[in-house]
Amino acid sequence: MQQYDLMVVGGGPGGYVAAIRAAQLGFKTALVEKQHLGGVCLNWGCIPTKALLRGADIAHTLKEADHFGFSFDNLSFDINKLVKHSRSVASKLSGGVAYLMQKNNITVIDGTATVADKCRLDVSHNGTVTQYRSNHIILATGARARNLPNIEIDGDLVWGAREAMTPTALPGSLLVIGGGAIGVEFASLYNDLGTDVTLVEAAERITPAEDTEISALAEKSFKQRGIKVLTSTLVDSVEGAGKQALALIKGADGDQQLKFDQVILAVGIQGNIERLGLESLGVKTENNFLIADPFGKTNLVGLYAIGDVAGAPWLAHKASHEAIVCVENIAGIEAVEPLNKNRVPGCTYCRPQIASVGLTEAQAKAAGHSIRVGRSSLSANGKALAIHEAEGMVKTIFDADSGELLGAHMIGPEVTEQIQGFCIAQQLAATEHDLAHTIYAHPTVSESMHESVLDSLGVAIHQ
Amino acid sequence: MTNEIKPIDMPKWGMEMSEGEINAWHVEIGDQVNAEDDLVDVETSKIVNTVTAAHSGILRAIIAHPGESHNVGALLGVLASADTSEADIQAFINSRGSAAAAPERTPVELTTVEAVAAEASVPVQQQASVGNLAEGEDDSHVSASPVARHLAADYGVNLNNITGTGRHGRVSKRDLEAAVTAAGGHLIETNNASPNSSQSGDDSQVKATPVARRLAEQLGINLLECRVSGDRGRVCKADVEAAAALKNKLPAQTTAAPTASSSESQPISSMRKTIAGRLQASKQTAPHYRVQIDAELDNLLATRKQINDANTQTKVSVNDFIIKACASALIRVPAVNVQFDGEQITQFADADISVAVAIKDGLITPIISGANNKGLEGISHEMRDLSTRAKLNRLKPEEFQGGSFCISNLGMYGIKQFDAIINPPQGAILAVGSGEQRAVVRNGELTVATVISLTLSSDHRIIDGAVAAEFMSVLKGFLEQPATMLV
Repeated sequence: MQQYDLMVVGGGPGGYVAAIRAAQLGFKTALVEKQHLGGVCLNWGCIPTKALLRGADIAHTLKEADHFGFSFDNLSFDINKLVKHSRSVASKLSGGVAYLMQKNNITVIDGTATVADKCRLDVSHNGTVTQYRSNHIILATGARARNLPNIEIDGDLVWGAREAMTPTALPGSLLVIGGGAIGVEFASLYNDLGTDVTLVEAAERITPAEDTEISALAEKSFKQRGIKVLTSTLVDSVEGAGKQALALIKGADGDQQLKFDQVILAVGIQGNIERLGLESLGVKTENNFLIADPFGKTNLVGLYAIGDVAGAPWLAHKASHEAIVCVENIAGIEAVEPLNKNRVPGCTYCRPQIASVGLTEAQAKAAGHSIRVGRSSLSANGKALAIHEAEGMVKTIFDADSGELLGAHMIGPEVTEQIQGFCIAQQLAATEHDLAHTIYAHPTVSESMHESVLDSLGVAIHQ
Repeated sequence: MTNEIKPIDMPKWGMEMSEGEINAWHVEIGDQVNAEDDLVDVETSKIVNTVTAAHSGILRAIIAHPGESHNVGALLGVLASADTSEADIQAFINSRGSAAAAPERTPVELTTVEAVAAEASVPVQQQASVGNLAEGEDDSHVSASPVARHLAADYGVNLNNITGTGRHGRVSKRDLEAAVTAAGGHLIETNNASPNSSQSGDDSQVKATPVARRLAEQLGINLLECRVSGDRGRVCKADVEAAAALKNKLPAQTTAAPTASSSESQPISSMRKTIAGRLQASKQTAPHYRVQIDAELDNLLATRKQINDANTQTKVSVNDFIIKACASALIRVPAVNVQFDGEQITQFADADISVAVAIKDGLITPIISGANNKGLEGISHEMRDLSTRAKLNRLKPEEFQGGSFCISNLGMYGIKQFDAIINPPQGAILAVGSGEQRAVVRNGELTVATVISLTLSSDHRIIDGAVAAEFMSVLKGFLEQPATMLV
């Protein structure tokens, strides 16, 4: 039986990072992947959707071109080229992960893994089962789109994220079910490309995980762009009606039946916990995710879980961070800090972009903090006006007593690139004074971060 | 007064230690040292450990410098009271005959307390030289930048005497420095508050930027000895760099790199060297003899299955049982639970069991200490952690140094039986082969049992054949009837 010091199941941003860190520390390491290195993130998530959204940005820019004096005729768009660009980026990055595995002397094992026993892994590949022994096994098997009891992804009328990012033609009309990060990104993408989009969310606002003010601004912006946003609304059923989908929608305005060329289901995800042999070994799960302690330990000796399969937030960078924490803890590195979920930023790449970290205002109040809130509108930001993208805001929430940055919430152009500033501030335990005394370059959109902090102290300069 | 002079000697950590290499001193000459304070890091072939002060006093001399190797018992430095004369200290050093270790440097190092005091008083002289700037009424109302106000305090300057050229007549750092220079004073770079007094107090409460704190740690600068010129009264990077620059100008040991002549050539890894030296010495000095016994494991395997099936958090191995059984047997036959340095036998009350773990380029023996007091599950978890970290070279010295007995298990390689070399100063080592199904004769009948072969190598100087045999017989009993370990 082959033996490794540490084996990782799953080659996504949790798994491959765990493998590299383990190899760096001196573990004899192997990684088992059943399909593509890079996981959903590189192959079917973060990266290929950003490649598509770049196309949406260009479409938007072209629509705005007249404002800047440009005009043109016979503008055409071939969605197949955009999809081709997206796929080529994905395959290039997947190859990059393969290189990193090789560089770090990590054995990549193709196949599907099953936990056969404590510290034992069976990997089946093309009908052959190979047995492995490893004192430490990290499950980083990820998650997949969830179906609704009454609506399932069929790949034809009802798309999941995979189908939604590989269209062969642009649908004329589209129903997006689910107003979370994935739903609003596809709604924004297809709207910019010219599709008539209806976005349905069961909660009372879209992006329900974000601060209410951010959600409100996003909804206002979406409506101005012509996206139909239906909140507090449920889709009761979707049936085929010729080549179209007939959806029964129940909302505040009563029931209505609407026809769409295409439906995207984006109502959350569930962990990939099946067929891993976990039931028979008594590994504990909850709501389709594995239960792990702050260092990734499951209730089975030598078995760990990180990333999406270990629960929310379902973000690549959270998985990568948990990977480092888990491996370093196994290695006995002292003072390894478990992941602090209030330090995990979230980015949504709709237009305008949304980025946030830490507590919302409501969460901060509920947690009993006495808070100081700062706000800054991009309408007062010179750079945002200059690039004709002055829609958005920065909201900062500080603990009034300690000055700790409890949360930061941004909506606007490229805020996903700016949120790091607040993340660093949190990590360094900066107070509102540290942020206020920092010099922000001019002219930048991120000057609004400064204004928001100053506003929290009641000394905003430009508003 | 020589009875007040206390030597700092090279300690002996473990019976095999004969010499140690100086890594770094935690204190400097002139520092007040309290008993238990960290003095100097010493590296042996296996560990880096810190020599702590046995007495309080002032560090008056450093004999052993970083990079040098010194024998156990050698004089590393001298602690004495402030009023002990330099001559007495030099006489003491000469009497120890250790100064030869670094004769050309000792005089430089032997800075007197008086000299330190003189250096420490420099700011006072500075104050005198800018004396005409020092007088005046309360200057707290004077408009000055925080940096200028702080520097003024350092220089002993009253801000009423400075003409501010900053905005709204505010006194800036430049104004202050210009005035100090004009008055014949020197700027802070050369006369900051007694940098070589090298404060060694706890600086964790000092307000400092994260970068400054990190840099200070790297450069060995105490934040208490840094000026404070950063934003909102924090020690900043420039302050730490200034303190470091000042320190390096001194004729202190920090500027003297270890000389090449004191270094050792290292053609093989220190681990390999240690293994080679220790095992050669063991084989040459300890008269080895072996006793061998077979034990049937079927009861043990059944017990193991019960334990492991009952709890997802537990994966007890056969080796964990052997560790526990050896511990129990060592308590029953204490004559095997010993260390021997050639002269004295040390008898241990608890069984600290070293377990050989093969690692890259060598092997190491992490210890399950007090294994007789631990349960199988505890031993199992500890062993998993120790062997994981052993392979990553992440064991602490106390986790692999010592031990009263050793186990070497090559069963996983299918080895049926082998002999091991005693790990000195221990008295015995158990070599464990592979558990396998064998034909055994029981009551005249041929039957099949899972059997393991165990071989004990003992040092005949301290463990006689009958003792070794008794130990093996007791061990066999525990392995064949594991429940008897519970009583």
